[in-house]
Amino acid sequence: MTSTSNDKLDISAAVKNAKRALQIRTGFVALIFKAWSKSNRFKIGLLISSFIILIGVLAPLIAPYPRDGLGYVPEDALQKIRLPPSQDHLFGTDTRGRDIFSRVVFGARSALIQIFLVVSSSLLIGLFMGVIAAYYKGLVETVINYLIELFMSIPAIVIALALRLILGSGLFTVVLALIITWWSWYGRVTYIYSRSIVEMDYVLLAKLSGVSGLKIIFRHVVRNASPPVLVQAVTDLGSVLLEASAINFLGLGLPPDSPEWGVIMQEGIQYLSISPWISVFPGIFILITALGFSLIGDSLREEVDPKLRRRWRLWF
Amino acid sequence: MPVSLNYIVKRLFWSILVLVGVVVFSYLVIIFSPGDPATKWAGNPRGVNATLAIEAARRELGLDKPLHIQVFDFIIKVFTGNLGTSIAYKQPVFTILYSNLAATLELLFCSYVIILPIGIFLGVYSALHRDELIDDLLQTFGTVMANTPAFWLAAIVFLLLVSSGHPVYGRIDTRLALETGFQPITGFYLLDSLLQGNIIIFIDVLIKLIPPALIVGVYPLGLSIRLSRALMAESLTEDFVRAAVAWGVRKRRIIWRYAFRASIPPLVQVSGLAFAYSLIDAMVVEYAVFGREGLGRLLVDALNYSDFKLAIGLLIVVTVFYLVINTLADVIQALIDPRVRL
Repeated sequence: MTSTSNDKLDISAAVKNAKRALQIRTGFVALIFKAWSKSNRFKIGLLISSFIILIGVLAPLIAPYPRDGLGYVPEDALQKIRLPPSQDHLFGTDTRGRDIFSRVVFGARSALIQIFLVVSSSLLIGLFMGVIAAYYKGLVETVINYLIELFMSIPAIVIALALRLILGSGLFTVVLALIITWWSWYGRVTYIYSRSIVEMDYVLLAKLSGVSGLKIIFRHVVRNASPPVLVQAVTDLGSVLLEASAINFLGLGLPPDSPEWGVIMQEGIQYLSISPWISVFPGIFILITALGFSLIGDSLREEVDPKLRRRWRLWF
Repeated sequence: MPVSLNYIVKRLFWSILVLVGVVVFSYLVIIFSPGDPATKWAGNPRGVNATLAIEAARRELGLDKPLHIQVFDFIIKVFTGNLGTSIAYKQPVFTILYSNLAATLELLFCSYVIILPIGIFLGVYSALHRDELIDDLLQTFGTVMANTPAFWLAAIVFLLLVSSGHPVYGRIDTRLALETGFQPITGFYLLDSLLQGNIIIFIDVLIKLIPPALIVGVYPLGLSIRLSRALMAESLTEDFVRAAVAWGVRKRRIIWRYAFRASIPPLVQVSGLAFAYSLIDAMVVEYAVFGREGLGRLLVDALNYSDFKLAIGLLIVVTVFYLVINTLADVIQALIDPRVRL
């Protein structure tokens, strides 16, 4: 009997500990929990983005014509060119007789892939460069700040043009063009935050106890500088999609026929006044996805920046 | 002297240094990307004269010289405005770029002149009506606007205009221009038509300018609604506002003369950044949807003719544009915000 009661005690203590750990936990995960409990915008944003992710993952099951979705032209294409939306084709068909609904559903995949590749790589590069600049100071700081300024001032779309002429069309072109410019924003944000962290006593203490530079950078500086940068990255997920689809819309990124929202819109733009459904539906998905990510990012930003959260009143 | 000359000179020097870096970067892209640099520079020529054209491009780039001399020559070439002849247009690259830049700039300036005051006013209005329904609605509207793809909205607006029987296409009615004897002088048609006293052309150009200008403005509209609300929320809680209220200063004066003034510097800086972002939107929208000339047309033509020179020229011109706008924004900010001058 005593043993069971002891077990019970242990379990309740463990639960209490876990609860407390959850409450006092700082960092990115705790931020998400806080934002979830406080803001409706966050919930809506999360709902939208999980909806898009679900569509992307389950694309072959949702799409009524999976082969059309991947860009293959169906056999009876000639009879199905530019049909308006109907029960068979929810969003109509495109210039080569493919079902637009299927293409849009598969488009969620390429949108998510592009966003993920661009943001994660730029985040890694930006975090690393920013922290290095703040920690080592001197010449390293000047050079990295110069590079950040340099790549910040080149718009991704003209880099995409140059890369398109060199490498040809493909996922690589659009993703690389965006990474080349995007990392610099994270680099700057990281640099600004870590500049003050580097001056903290715990960093000095670690230095004095002879911890190696790289270890300090990863254990202290990166960990403390990353939450605001991660929030910035979440806010940017939508902007990356907007810019990537603009690049694809101009034909600078993915090849024609690929299931990507910008590419589909480009295909329909010549027939805009005759069959508007080709260009209109993919655009709605771009808008919704970007909006979802941006709602999440905004509520997280409110959690990070206490100034935005402050209640205030007018004096008149 | 309110602003130390030192700050401005430093800022200018830094911008020029960044510009040189961009030129070097674009040259390194030409040289170290896969494929023969001379072939790329000549625009992948085919046919009888292909070898000749490639040889000419090789001489133009000076590929037989050491790398640092090549880079130095290239920088000199760019700064003297001599990037060779465009393959797509058979004209000097910078001439084409200059004549098209004016069209895009006209669109952008027009867009900002219309959009920014509206956005700022809505933002301030929303801050004054905090915790009311209108505040929520305006902020949601701002978020949606900031996330709308400009080219999609352009397609929708274009469609609406066509179906209502007032299609807007191109930049100017060429037949009307011929009939009234319109001559472009500066390339900014609005200005040109006013200078010549040509009201018909002025109205025609304005009508064709406003729809794309409003669409290019979606991002700055959303941004300014949200940003000016946040800034006002901050400055309206300051002690000087309470002091002004206690003194019995009129409400409108407090809002615009004191509270809003404090939020101008960040607005200027963010508008500078957004202006550069809108340039991309303008390039995407103006040619692909509205068929206007401008940098967007050059982008598409550089792609269609694989005109690498034009692409590099575009890269440099767009970067110069970005640097000029942001340097200006920084200097203006220093002029009005005493804290930056330190």
